Amino acid sequence: MRQGWTIPLLRTERQFSRFVLVCVSVGFVALIGSAIAAGLTVMRTQDHARWVEHTYEVEQRVSSLRVLVERLEVARRGYLLSHQPVSKQTFRETVAEEPLLIAEIRRLTADNPVQQNNITRVERLVAQQFRLQSASIVLADRDPAAAVAAFNRDTSLGLTRELRLVTNAMRLEENHLLMMRITAQRQSVRELFMILTGFGILAAVVAVFSILVLRRYTGSLVEARDAERTLAAELEDRVRARTYELSRANDEIQRFAYIVSHDLRSPLVNVMGFTGELEAAARPLVALVDRVEAEAPHLIDPEAAIAAREDLPESIGFIRTSTQKMDRLINAILRLAREGRRVMTPEAIDLAGLIESIVATLQHRLDELGATVTVERPMPELVADRLAVEQMLSNLIENASKYLQPGRPGRIVVSARTNRDRVAIDVADNGRGIDPRDHDRIFDLFRRSGQQDQPGEGIGLAHVRALAYRLGGLIDCRSALGEGATFTLSIPTQPIASQG
Amino acid sequence: MNAHQPVNIVMIEDDEGHARLIEKNIRRAGISNDIRHFTDGTSALDYLYTSPDGPALNGPALILLDLNLPDMSGTDILIRIKAEGSPLRRTPVIVLTTTDDKVEIQRCYDLGANVYITKPVDYESFATAIRQLGLFLSVIQLPVIEPDA
Repeated sequence: MRQGWTIPLLRTERQFSRFVLVCVSVGFVALIGSAIAAGLTVMRTQDHARWVEHTYEVEQRVSSLRVLVERLEVARRGYLLSHQPVSKQTFRETVAEEPLLIAEIRRLTADNPVQQNNITRVERLVAQQFRLQSASIVLADRDPAAAVAAFNRDTSLGLTRELRLVTNAMRLEENHLLMMRITAQRQSVRELFMILTGFGILAAVVAVFSILVLRRYTGSLVEARDAERTLAAELEDRVRARTYELSRANDEIQRFAYIVSHDLRSPLVNVMGFTGELEAAARPLVALVDRVEAEAPHLIDPEAAIAAREDLPESIGFIRTSTQKMDRLINAILRLAREGRRVMTPEAIDLAGLIESIVATLQHRLDELGATVTVERPMPELVADRLAVEQMLSNLIENASKYLQPGRPGRIVVSARTNRDRVAIDVADNGRGIDPRDHDRIFDLFRRSGQQDQPGEGIGLAHVRALAYRLGGLIDCRSALGEGATFTLSIPTQPIASQG
Repeated sequence: MNAHQPVNIVMIEDDEGHARLIEKNIRRAGISNDIRHFTDGTSALDYLYTSPDGPALNGPALILLDLNLPDMSGTDILIRIKAEGSPLRRTPVIVLTTTDDKVEIQRCYDLGANVYITKPVDYESFATAIRQLGLFLSVIQLPVIEPDA
């Protein structure tokens, strides 16, 4: 791991996914926030537009009102001067329009007290002006000269001026409102930009942060994976080295056993040979003793006689049996060593058939001992060295038939089952059983258990175990005294590759 | 045995006891030929090839060879004797040894040994084997060694 910026948060995958979730959520929040802000601003903008439109409407009405007012005055003056009925008509029509317009303006500015005030003043002024104008027109009909004289003296000009001022004020007021609204509009747009910028920055920061963290996480994952690969390769190398060492050690043991047994045999030849020579040499001596005893008994002393007739043969006998035993033991070791060196040739084995052929070979002995063997079918498939399996099973079945319980006919059952990647073969008997304390001992070379009334060297089970190990399997014993024994041979269904 | 020339029996055996036993049994079989005994391969080869009264220069011989020698393997001597160009190529070699390894036996025969006998510890059969060998020796025809064979 690189030094420097570490992320103490992201130690586990769960923490990492939580972090990713948070970042994505923040990103989405920014997005939605921006959308909402934009939406609100659009609505506000629409609002502002409506108000601007409204303002222009009011302004336009107010201008129209001014025009009406001017027209009225013009119409009156025109009538005063020309006495044209059309002017009077114009006057009447215009007067009819006025209150409508005023009412409309009043309605439009209903929310604005200033404008309401203004429009009330306008109304009053317009009403004043109307009285004056209508009076003037009526006078004009009766006495035109008097009307003109009245006109020169009346306050219509003042009124008009005042009306102009009020309507101006109204326009200014609307303008003022317009400015305010435009400013507000600009403000809200500015706000939108600020919000969008804010969210944008947030999103960008989150994005950059996530990318960096992701890269670092992926980087550390890749590093971990590479480290693992290197480790695995190293492990493989180490395993290979160890296996090589082990097989060398095994070869060493085999050679050792082989050499030792041969070097032990050599002196054995001498011992046996010269024992025979002793025996041969003893014969003439014994004959001499017999002759002396027959012809000159006073020469023989009892010690000599015993020596010749009893001690000599007895000693020679013991020496002979011992050397014979030694020979058998050495042969057993040699056999074990040989088995350890033999090349295993795996093949598909029909277990039931193999066992039945073993039983057939032992049939004579089995009949003699009164034992029966039952082979339970079906038996699973097994791929292994045939000779090894045959030797192991033959040994086990022979043992089962040898160590019977007196008074109980031997019943041996051989069965097999699959246990994951192994085949477990059970040889169960109802013989004399084995003391649980000896369950490990019996597999040692030259070791036996229980009553020693059967011929044997204690070699069989050691051989079975050596072969089982060779095949990559195990041998196990379950038994109690007086209750028979079950030996379970567990062998891989398929040969293990690293067998040597 | 050949009527004309006496056959030398050369025994190459490092164990004194074995040598004594073998000799006793050969004598019991009725063979009275000279038995030369060597306890190591070097002196045996020296005798076989260079000694003036050795078989290379002086008459036919029969070799009793043990494989477990202290200074070299008996198979080396066998190879040497049975090599192409060796004057003793046709000399019968009887391998007498404790090894009963099938591979070893096969190898000896491949190298040209004439007979391979395993010394069993069972004295009776050992004695019988030697005696039978003795009788065997009394009936076989030994090849005459040509000077430049």
